[in-house]
Amino acid sequence: MARSGDCADGARARQHVFLLPECLKDASKKMKSGLMFVKLVNPCSGEGAIYLFNMCLQQLFEIKVFKEKHHSWFINQSVQSGGLLHFATPMDPLFLLLHYLIKADKEGKFQPLDQVVVDDMFPNCILLLKLPELEKLLQHVTEERGIDKKKYYKFSKEKTLKWLEKKVNQTMAALKTNNVNVGARVQSTAFFSGDQVSSDKEEDYIRYAHGLISDYISKELSDDLSKYLKLPEPSASLPNPPSKKVKLSDEPVEAKEDYTKFNTKGLKTEKKNSKMTAAQKALAKVDKSGMKSIDSFFGAKSKKKIGKI
Amino acid sequence: MESSDEAAVQKHRIHLRPVSLRDAAPVTLHLLPCEVPVNQPAPVGRFFTPAIRQGPAGLEVSFRGRKLRGEEVVLPPGLVGYVMVMEEKQDFSEGPENDDEQEEQELVEPPEALERNFDCFIGATASFSRFTLWGLETIPGPDAKVRGALTWPSLAAAIHSQVPED
Repeated sequence: MARSGDCADGARARQHVFLLPECLKDASKKMKSGLMFVKLVNPCSGEGAIYLFNMCLQQLFEIKVFKEKHHSWFINQSVQSGGLLHFATPMDPLFLLLHYLIKADKEGKFQPLDQVVVDDMFPNCILLLKLPELEKLLQHVTEERGIDKKKYYKFSKEKTLKWLEKKVNQTMAALKTNNVNVGARVQSTAFFSGDQVSSDKEEDYIRYAHGLISDYISKELSDDLSKYLKLPEPSASLPNPPSKKVKLSDEPVEAKEDYTKFNTKGLKTEKKNSKMTAAQKALAKVDKSGMKSIDSFFGAKSKKKIGKI
Repeated sequence: MESSDEAAVQKHRIHLRPVSLRDAAPVTLHLLPCEVPVNQPAPVGRFFTPAIRQGPAGLEVSFRGRKLRGEEVVLPPGLVGYVMVMEEKQDFSEGPENDDEQEEQELVEPPEALERNFDCFIGATASFSRFTLWGLETIPGPDAKVRGALTWPSLAAAIHSQVPED
């Protein structure tokens, strides 16, 4: 058809290189449909981000993109610009529910979940309600009341901080087993083999873990969590500023680098822009080329719309 | 028809065809340390692949007059690589879904209809479990950023697994 000739990039459609958990391949053997990419809110920035649902096994996956400048793929007998690598990893839906619970808490009352999880911008959020064991998950972050079997929920900051602390702890454990370099000071120990620095190390790990978790919660909650964990205020005397910065300089979070770009894609108003962290803003400035590919991933329609604004 | 206002709302769903994950053929991937600003067929097998030599410290190849040095990267266990391509929009809908009707096995479908006629489809065209990572002049080595990125899934698993009960 004439359509394909319009493509300025060349003769071939864009090829997306993905890494999926093996469980998705296994699940696909029994499925006719039910796997889908949708855009939902990013609970940290409030912008849009891409997620993958497996509606048969009722699983949610987060999509992140690794991108390094000046890279491209050879894919069999073709070339694909950008060199992007997409990761789909299981996501705890409670981070997303929490975003809506905090929003709904402005009304200050107990509400049923289907009145909490509503979003004019991302109507696919209702798919979250189909995930399993939500009642159990919600216990971690809400007070609940039941009237005639119907459950009503209200955000509880106290419970949420407790839950987030556990998240930080299990993330720290994984950082250690993965031998992730968590900060400038840790790297410097590689050169000076004294162990006087080892006491600092624990703090670097917790800071790093806090930074990773902070990518799934609002700035306010991240600050509250920092206080709750008794993380020292990042002072000017420290060589490595807040957790976010540390993270960005390190490798595994490269995936995140593009995650940010993912989300800047939907940027429309300055108001929303202000929700970005300093690190995200810096990243958004540095390189927006990743956005383009995500646009095309989500079809020309939304691209057009953004162009108009 | 949708109004343009509706288009701003992010209601699209891109359905990934499960069948394409099942029988995706293996693909050869090279991650190059340079920009090639096009997406199109390229005679990789004619000019690039035959020039790859096994050097003393890894793979070597000459590309656009520069020396590249490379190594195999095997995906961490539990991950499968796929190359995916969006399907052209078909206005007469239905799509190729009907083609696999003759499958003997009864396949699971979600309890409700999830596909709407304005949705798009994407499918895997190929799969991989390793790729060749190339560096300019030097071997990318263990510090290559992409190797760091490959540890993300295990970290994500820790972040997103359920917390222990009190």
